[in-house]
Amino acid sequence: MAKLPDGRALPGKLFIVEGIDGSGKSTQLDLLSKWLIGQGYCVAFSEWNSSPLVKTTTKKGKKKQMLSPSSFSLIHAADFADRLERQILPALKAGAIVLADRYIYTAFGRDVARGVAPEWVRKVYAFSVKPTVAFYFRVPLEESLRRILGGRPQLKYYEAGMDIGLSDDAYESFALFQGRILEEYDKMVDEFGLTVIDATLPLVKQQEIVRDIITPLLTGALRVEPSAWREVLAAESVYGRYLDEVLPERSTP
Amino acid sequence: MTNIAFYGEGLAGFTRTKPLPGRLLVLEGTDGVGRSTQIALLREWVESKGYAVQSTGMKRSALAGKGIKEAMRGHTLGNLTQNLFYATDMVDRLEKVIMPALRAGFVVLTDRYIYSIMARAIVRGVDPGWIRDVFGFALVPDLILYLHADLPHLIPRVLNARGFDYWESGMDVLPNRDYYEAFVEYQTRLLAQFEAMAEEYSFHRIDATRSIREVFQNLTQEIDLVLADMKPVSLEKATQELAEAMADGESGKAKKA
Repeated sequence: MAKLPDGRALPGKLFIVEGIDGSGKSTQLDLLSKWLIGQGYCVAFSEWNSSPLVKTTTKKGKKKQMLSPSSFSLIHAADFADRLERQILPALKAGAIVLADRYIYTAFGRDVARGVAPEWVRKVYAFSVKPTVAFYFRVPLEESLRRILGGRPQLKYYEAGMDIGLSDDAYESFALFQGRILEEYDKMVDEFGLTVIDATLPLVKQQEIVRDIITPLLTGALRVEPSAWREVLAAESVYGRYLDEVLPERSTP
Repeated sequence: MTNIAFYGEGLAGFTRTKPLPGRLLVLEGTDGVGRSTQIALLREWVESKGYAVQSTGMKRSALAGKGIKEAMRGHTLGNLTQNLFYATDMVDRLEKVIMPALRAGFVVLTDRYIYSIMARAIVRGVDPGWIRDVFGFALVPDLILYLHADLPHLIPRVLNARGFDYWESGMDVLPNRDYYEAFVEYQTRLLAQFEAMAEEYSFHRIDATRSIREVFQNLTQEIDLVLADMKPVSLEKATQELAEAMADGESGKAKKA
């Protein structure tokens, strides 16, 4: 059950995924989302660092390299707060399933790896909802580096942890920074009761494990009628050519 | 000397323990109490005594100032988000403006500090413990001057200046009242929060119902005491020191390992 900080249970279910870059968590969440929607559940989705009110500031800070470990931490907390207030909490109160790609543990991992006090960042996020299940996709550092760096990508300054000066080489800095974050995640498994998924298993196997874990928890979750418009089309003999404007999922095959 | 003490954990990566040569002076108080006028007068007065002055205030950070103002123009900014946005603005100014200036020997005058943000948050129902925790990064100032006036004095001043403001009237928390009623209720609650903080944070109360001149004289008496053991620093020297402090990045970007 998703719970408020004071322990009160919310009717909705909150499933979140965590893991270092290259752990494959977003892929797993995407698969899960499609499956849940196919089952007729009402699913809301929230992604780290995506608040329309805050992300412009974050982007500016990153682009101009204006962020310190403390301001990096606070601006991400502001982004999270906005999504919690306007997306996550209302959906959970309505009884929906909320899927979050990264959650507070991302902040705890990254900010502490940057030298922010672990107690402080935990207190900053004290207003957050406790997830129904927090999945941690654990992958060895070498494997994640192979997945990410294999394509020789252009690493961004903060993504590579260049701001804390671990190394002047972006790839080396990224590897060291990810290593630190991995250590933080491993410490959080017991602290927050994260559900560890072996992210080296085949994708299908991981998804199976995730579905097995959440299936018994779905009782009472809000459902929608996903094909309500189909019924209208069938009954009223209209084609629905203007529905594409309002139903984005219809234009994608 | 500004002894380095934080309200909580302090700033990440800040390791200096040696006192800072500058002074951090805070002016606090509600809307319409005359803070900006007094800051403008004080700035000139402190400069005339031979000190370099750095002035700062809410929503003036390079990082978040514009973002907050834009977010506050809409109607979707929630309570927690607003506070964390203010905290981002505060920490950015602390690291990029206030700390380097204190290190370079400036007298820093700030129009509001964390207390206004905390009072506004608590009036809006935010957990008082949480908001104090968030501001655990803030430096304890040398002097907090709390300008205090009751509502009958504040209302004509606000009307005379720019009228009732949406946020300063708490229209977001008291939506079914008119601006006047909301302002009265909201400012009454805000004043109660300032009163509650006065002792805990050692505010120096300044009666702001008097004339601008009397208030100014009262402020300069208090500030004189804090500046008594501080040698005047020329603006040129302080500016040079500031450039060096910024280059070292003592409190901003962490040092290269």
